[in-house]
Amino acid sequence: MERELRDTARRLLEDKTVGVVVGYSWNRKKTRTTPVFVTKPEDAERLIFNPLCVNNLSVYLTRKYPDVRALGRIGIVAKGCDIRNIVVLMAEGQIQREDIYIIGMTCSGVVYRQELWEGELKPEIMPTKCHNCDVRNPHLADTVIGERVSFTPPETPQGVVFDRIREIEGMSPSERWEFWMGHFSRCIKCYACRQVCSLCYCERCITDKNMPQWIETSAHPRGNLAWNLIRAMHLFGRCTFCGECERACPVNIPLNILNQKLAMVAKEAFDYSSGYDPEVHPPLRVFDPEDREDFIK
Amino acid sequence: MPRVGVFICQCGNNIASTVDTKKVAEEVAGLPGVVFTCDYKFMCSSPGQEMLKNAIKEHRLDSVVISACSPHMHEKTFRKASESAGLNPYRCEIANIREQCSWVHHDRTKKTGTIKSIDLTRMTIERVKRSRSLTKIKIPITKRALVIGGGIAGIQSALDMADGGVEVIVVEREPSIGGNMARLSETFPTMDCSQCILTPKMVEAELHENIRLYTYSEVERIDGYIGNFTVEIRKKARYVDEELCTGCGECIEKCPFKSGSEFELALRNRKVIYTPFPQAVPNIPVIDARNCPKIQKNKCGACAIVCGPKAIDFSQKDRIVTEKVGAIVVATGYELMPNERFGEYGYGRIKDVINGLQFERLASSSGPTGGEIRRPSDGKVPKSVVFIQCVGSRDEKRGVPYCSKICCMYTAKHTMLYKHKVHDGQAYVFYMDIRSGGKRYEEFVRRAIEHEGSMYLRGRVSRVYERNGKVIVQGADTLSGSQVEIEADMVVLATAIVARSGADTLAKKLGIGYDRYNFYNEYHPKLRPVETTTAGIYLAGTCIGPMDIPDSVSQGSAAASKVLSLFAGDELAREPQTARVNTMTCNACWDCLTACPYSAIEREEVKDRRGETIRWLARVNEGVCQGCGVCVAVCRSKSIDLNGYTDEEIYAAINAF
Amino acid sequence: MSENWEPRIMAFVCNWCTYAGADLAGTSRMEYKPNVRIIRFPCTGRIDPLFIIKAFENGADGVLVSGCHPGDCHYTTGNYHARRRWIGFKNLMEFVGIDTGRLHFSWVSASEAGKWVDLINRITEEVKKLGPFLEYRRLK
Repeated sequence: MERELRDTARRLLEDKTVGVVVGYSWNRKKTRTTPVFVTKPEDAERLIFNPLCVNNLSVYLTRKYPDVRALGRIGIVAKGCDIRNIVVLMAEGQIQREDIYIIGMTCSGVVYRQELWEGELKPEIMPTKCHNCDVRNPHLADTVIGERVSFTPPETPQGVVFDRIREIEGMSPSERWEFWMGHFSRCIKCYACRQVCSLCYCERCITDKNMPQWIETSAHPRGNLAWNLIRAMHLFGRCTFCGECERACPVNIPLNILNQKLAMVAKEAFDYSSGYDPEVHPPLRVFDPEDREDFIK
Repeated sequence: MPRVGVFICQCGNNIASTVDTKKVAEEVAGLPGVVFTCDYKFMCSSPGQEMLKNAIKEHRLDSVVISACSPHMHEKTFRKASESAGLNPYRCEIANIREQCSWVHHDRTKKTGTIKSIDLTRMTIERVKRSRSLTKIKIPITKRALVIGGGIAGIQSALDMADGGVEVIVVEREPSIGGNMARLSETFPTMDCSQCILTPKMVEAELHENIRLYTYSEVERIDGYIGNFTVEIRKKARYVDEELCTGCGECIEKCPFKSGSEFELALRNRKVIYTPFPQAVPNIPVIDARNCPKIQKNKCGACAIVCGPKAIDFSQKDRIVTEKVGAIVVATGYELMPNERFGEYGYGRIKDVINGLQFERLASSSGPTGGEIRRPSDGKVPKSVVFIQCVGSRDEKRGVPYCSKICCMYTAKHTMLYKHKVHDGQAYVFYMDIRSGGKRYEEFVRRAIEHEGSMYLRGRVSRVYERNGKVIVQGADTLSGSQVEIEADMVVLATAIVARSGADTLAKKLGIGYDRYNFYNEYHPKLRPVETTTAGIYLAGTCIGPMDIPDSVSQGSAAASKVLSLFAGDELAREPQTARVNTMTCNACWDCLTACPYSAIEREEVKDRRGETIRWLARVNEGVCQGCGVCVAVCRSKSIDLNGYTDEEIYAAINAF
Repeated sequence: MSENWEPRIMAFVCNWCTYAGADLAGTSRMEYKPNVRIIRFPCTGRIDPLFIIKAFENGADGVLVSGCHPGDCHYTTGNYHARRRWIGFKNLMEFVGIDTGRLHFSWVSASEAGKWVDLINRITEEVKKLGPFLEYRRLK
């Protein structure tokens, strides 16, 4: 698989199909994977692909990284789940299909966090998204690398995130409030969740706007709540549940739960799942006159 | 530092009886930036307005708050007064302490009302401090109008506008203007001949120096906004050169092929090259390409051989013409609901069951029978005719719930026309109610019943069938409580009026609203009956709903007067409450563009000096923007704001809660 | 919580329907609870979830958002967009533990003065039962 990946990348760079290949490589100690930007054909040998390749590299396609864009057409090594983000970026006009070359990787799952890796991919170290993945064979790619994976996701989604959502839904409002305030109070407003998210591509985030300053910038509970609510709302109907925000969060706020909850709302209310079809509008920019309104009195 | 003036109105006792206005004024006087406060008996009176103006000048106020009645009442008054004192009118805001405070909280101790009034005034003060000076938007106007539909409403509208000096383009789908009215024999209640009053108007429209007719044409696409529409019109291939044709009719004479006439509603055939009716405007024939052997199989071509001026052109193709106009009048009219839906009446199955418009053709002297009432099956003069009203109308289950409004009148007219032409004939009418509101309408119906001997039966028809060359009508007469069976020679159905097919498609092209029956929505059904919510687009006639000729004509004129007043100035001044884009932070995600109900947002390409695209931006077309703010709320990066309701103003108001 | 405590309710309403409906309640001299403070918007489509959060931050014990009935929007579709946003936002607020009694959505037309009066009275009662929104105010 890696051989094929490297050959493909080299060829793409040699024949100038792309100016850069964004992919994964080892760190120096070969213990962790890290993003790599390959611009020379000979450097294609540095590319790797394995269950440690958890990062969603699509963030490098966004306007947050003009330096990467400046290298020319971008070849990107992407798992099916990463491609879902690329699809959203296309739907929102952030990238044109012809400006990128997607090297789709078939995937049997990745680790939830790289630290959990002990040489073997076991179900218990995989994130919830992998257990329910329906894009292990990339759904939109210029070339697909790797053996076709036969995997049927369970009919009703399973995994720890869904268990937690059900658990929280079963709580009283005050218990829910305690649960979330407990988590949000730890927020240090480092915005790692935002930086790592390819769909948080705003050149100037709402938190950075101060005329008016809707969201208090200091890390105290009230502003933390506002930030986390608005972050979740801004991803409503867009988030693909890639899990990067939660992975990046230094204080372990369970953002996957929040994001997946809203993804479930979008699915239930609008029959919409993000990241599958770039021709379909994200749900908040359109409407259906028949949308449900049982909560509007 | 801002310099805010605050004026608390007592509104006589309307506010003062439950609000201590003096206390409100004192309380807010201490707020930062407030340099002047007062309370007064009637702020809207001329001394009140004078006080406002003087205070603005004397205290050099840069913004004012009037705590008074609803802004829906006097916002304009106070903004105008502020403007005349040199203050930008959009720096005047109203706190509603009457409708939403003093009138709904009846606490005579004034405690409740005073507390709330202070809150509302404070929130408005904080808001007005962040308000911005705005100037009305000026939009240039193209002083040409488009009329869609060349029926009587459209013709009237076009003539009125043209007489007012405006260039008018009329687009008509059929080969001739005239619409449904051209089909009518006589018109109620005056019984004057429809052709006699319509055709002069048709000719006038054709010859008017300011009117340009596009017949056999359809609106393909519409872009732009009030004052500045671009319209693409599809001129369907006529296969006859309009410039060369003299209208001599030789080609029609010689054409050996026939097909059913649309105009005559299948009661007669026409030639394959034809004009819909003798008085057609323009008098230029059309080739029915589907039935023409020359076009289909390259056989015949007789028309081309006899045509003197060589106007026949078999190679003609549809053509798209682009026109620029400043206003649009939509007058697409009506059609009848397909009667086949009502199996019990036998329409389509029994030849001698026809609809009201078909009866008009039978009665018309230019119709298929030359004005003699002869039934379609065998051409015999029917001695007994049954008219059935409310076929589809007022029938929620199978038809439409609304009343088609004109059927009662035209059925009465039909019975009279019939009686005048067949003296020994008997007309029967099955009706639910007679609705004859209108000048001389009730008298007309009474005449039909009392003087012309039409037999009116209140009740519904249950079955219509054929027996020995007769059409048997079974029904109930609810007034006598008996079942009746009539051996008729012919049955005429007063079928429901429905919107033109394709009315919804056109509405989408125009961006105007329509109801579940595809009738177009007025801006306001009473107060703005010929306007739509899309500025610059007006309505006339039965595209809004069922109505008779006088109403259609009035609406045509009304729409014309709207257009003429729009065109009275050289530019259009619009309220500046529009969205604006922060070009520094726009992500070009196009959420706003997709969500905008008015397509007021465009993609703007920013190029560098070498002409290469640097970035894309959303741009608001101020002429189109209606100021709803949907774009503002969908924009995640807060790169759009709404003048008059900016985030800063709202933030300030909420923070002063 | 003292017996005399009165909740503070913020209402975000559209100009054309609900604001006019509230005006009509006034011209009809109806009476309702004085706990609500209205901020007027052109359309519910303009209302951002941030406003609701900001209202709670400023001590609102309850928030009401109200506009034109579906199909009646002055801007034809603004309320449809708003409705979609609220579906997400209401679910989110509930999920983080904000009692549904504190956040209300409604359609009130320009002629529904009675509905407006009932709505405000009902919401005021409901919020009063829940007590002051101390949880939010304690977040400092």
